[in-house]
Amino acid sequence: MTALYGCECCGLVSAAPAGDAQVQLRCPRCAHPLHDEKPHSLQKTWAYLAASVLLYIPANALPVMTTSNLFRDTSHTIASGIAELWASDSWGLAIIVFVASIAVPLLKIGTLALLAWSVQYAPGWRRFERARLYRIVEGVGHWSMLDVYVVVLLAGIVQFGRLANVHPEPGLLAFAAVVVLTMLAARSFDPRLIWREPDEPTP
Amino acid sequence: MSDPTEPDPAGEGIPPAAAEPVVRRRNATRLSLVWIVPIVAVVVGASLLINTLMQAGPHVMIEFRTAEGLEPGKTEVRYKEVVVGRVEAVSLSDDRKRVQVGVRLDRAVSNMAVEDTNFWVVRPRIGMAGISGLNTLLSGAYIGVDAGNSTRSRKHFVGLEAPPFVLRNEPGRSFVLRAPDLGSLDVGSPVYYRRTRVGRVVGYTLDPVNDELTVQVFIESPYEPLVTQQARFWNASGLDLQLNASGLTLNAQTVSSVIAGGIAFERLPGSEGLAAAPAGTRFYLFDDRKAALAPPDGPALTIRMVFDQSVRGLSTGAPVDFLGIELGTVQSMQLLYDARTQRYPMEVTADIYPLRLGKVRNAMLQGAPAGGAADIRFLKQLVDSGLRAQLRTGNLLTSQQYVALDFTPRTPQATLDMSNGVPRVPTVPGTLSELQPQIAEIVARLNKVPFDEIGRDLQSTLSQARAAIRELSPEAQKALAEVQRTLGSVQASLQRLDRNLLDESAPVQRNVEQTMTELQRAAQALRALSDYLQRHPETLLRGKRADPPLADREKPR
Ligand SMILES: [Zn+2]
Repeated sequence: MTALYGCECCGLVSAAPAGDAQVQLRCPRCAHPLHDEKPHSLQKTWAYLAASVLLYIPANALPVMTTSNLFRDTSHTIASGIAELWASDSWGLAIIVFVASIAVPLLKIGTLALLAWSVQYAPGWRRFERARLYRIVEGVGHWSMLDVYVVVLLAGIVQFGRLANVHPEPGLLAFAAVVVLTMLAARSFDPRLIWREPDEPTP
Repeated sequence: MSDPTEPDPAGEGIPPAAAEPVVRRRNATRLSLVWIVPIVAVVVGASLLINTLMQAGPHVMIEFRTAEGLEPGKTEVRYKEVVVGRVEAVSLSDDRKRVQVGVRLDRAVSNMAVEDTNFWVVRPRIGMAGISGLNTLLSGAYIGVDAGNSTRSRKHFVGLEAPPFVLRNEPGRSFVLRAPDLGSLDVGSPVYYRRTRVGRVVGYTLDPVNDELTVQVFIESPYEPLVTQQARFWNASGLDLQLNASGLTLNAQTVSSVIAGGIAFERLPGSEGLAAAPAGTRFYLFDDRKAALAPPDGPALTIRMVFDQSVRGLSTGAPVDFLGIELGTVQSMQLLYDARTQRYPMEVTADIYPLRLGKVRNAMLQGAPAGGAADIRFLKQLVDSGLRAQLRTGNLLTSQQYVALDFTPRTPQATLDMSNGVPRVPTVPGTLSELQPQIAEIVARLNKVPFDEIGRDLQSTLSQARAAIRELSPEAQKALAEVQRTLGSVQASLQRLDRNLLDESAPVQRNVEQTMTELQRAAQALRALSDYLQRHPETLLRGKRADPPLADREKPR
């Protein structure tokens, strides 16, 4: 059986010779690697997910930002920031921050873990819904970076020396890493795996 | 994405010109390098967490009377204004009398959780020494720490209610001042040297048993060597406004000490080389600079003086002055009754310090030791040479009086009366009291003048005159008219006279002129005659000689 490959880079369609599976194919025009699925897709997804779960702990435990005025430095973790917003009756803002900073990353990690798990252990289960789930996860993507944007903007703008100052804390780094890693995990997951039949060999 | 409902069957519709891909051997690694990412994540996350956990130091409990201004998670613990911890929890003690404040100290100051460490809450407070902790108005209260030196660790502390006034290890030296009274001093009042703040009052104690007030002062480094054994401290509190025989004296150290009170000290002149006094040295706190810097007075000699006059204006503490030198102060006044003269003399007791006379005393006593007999002998000599006590007015405006010991001329002989042990210095009436009877006499004489009668007479005379004038008035008017007329005619006559007499062309004038010319001539002739007669008196007898010839006229020359 001849396999056809569309080049992801230049769009050239080439037909691979049947036979040895232990070869690497490259586009004859632009030398971009050609493959059935993304290579090591599941491994990468699991790796990124693991990293993001690990960094999720310091991202929530450590302060993401310190606001200082003339007399006092106050550090905020994400949770304390939400609690403060909630306590000061800014419920809308509190919900937005909660969704963007806690709910979305957690849901993304959970969803990707579910997708990766189902590819390996429940390949035939609700393929259509899983494909839709993947589209949603990829679409939500970078919106979790909201917090990072806010802190970085504040840190850039609020620099009034001793009067008022906002500076980012290590927790923000961890949080940004979590968001980036979940995005990488989503990208490295190959949705075509959803449609692979159980008897096909896994890459 | 392909439609799952209509999957395109593989192998159908292959484009005819499908290119041949480049084929290379795939390397056989099964494990992707991507697993480095979670390993890095573990390292980074762990390092972040460990770093944070490393910073957290010991957790201590501090007991306070109230948790006013203490907020969990916000209130800081500061040592020398450096944040070294944070309040984590505030709760009530079991008996609900105190509050328990849980504090997380920084790792770097974990050695602060030892036995003799003190904690207190810094809130804005307004005291005599000014407003402190003002920054807490904005930042909220915080907990201050004074680190202890002990090595025995401790987790539960009882907080102080007010900041301690000397921090442990604060460089400087404490001294004790015995004071007659506290004045407006308070804890925190400054200590000045040459009007520079070098320390502060850190406390005072009133010993009820010995009735002694001591003030503890702390001289901050590097000024502590300024306090030598010869240092003199005085109370520089507030405005030293003195109304006494020398008038109104206003003394102030600095504006701050005016408001908050303070202590000043100075070294006696000539004691610059002395070593610094050790910590805890006791000094006396004088009332003012003058008293502090005055040479030591030696023992006081009590004298009494009996004045046969009012002592109004003389107060306890008024100076006793010897030729301008303040020799002592009045201690008491007592009214006596003299049965023989039926009068009420005033006995004034005063303490004098003969040592203040220094050289005079030495010269007269040949340096006899101070006190008792020698000083009485000295006083006796002075009285024998005419020393008398006199009440004088130091200030006319306030009529404050003082006792002057002075040599008064023309006084009856008197001696120092030593009856009942206390020497009694003879007195003379005061200057003002001498003047008083004289003034009284003048007043009495003035009183004798019958001002009333004179006034009454004058009044009746005036009223009579007024009545007479009123009666006269019609005739007077007529008479006035007459007078006017007469005056008119007089004026006319005068004008005529003027024309006839004074005008240059008037005949009288001309005649007079001629007559005057004649008279002048006659006078000239007479003068010539008299001159001639003076020179030649013989002509009266012989007649005038003929004029000599011209050539002879030069001869007599
Ligand atoms: Zn290509």
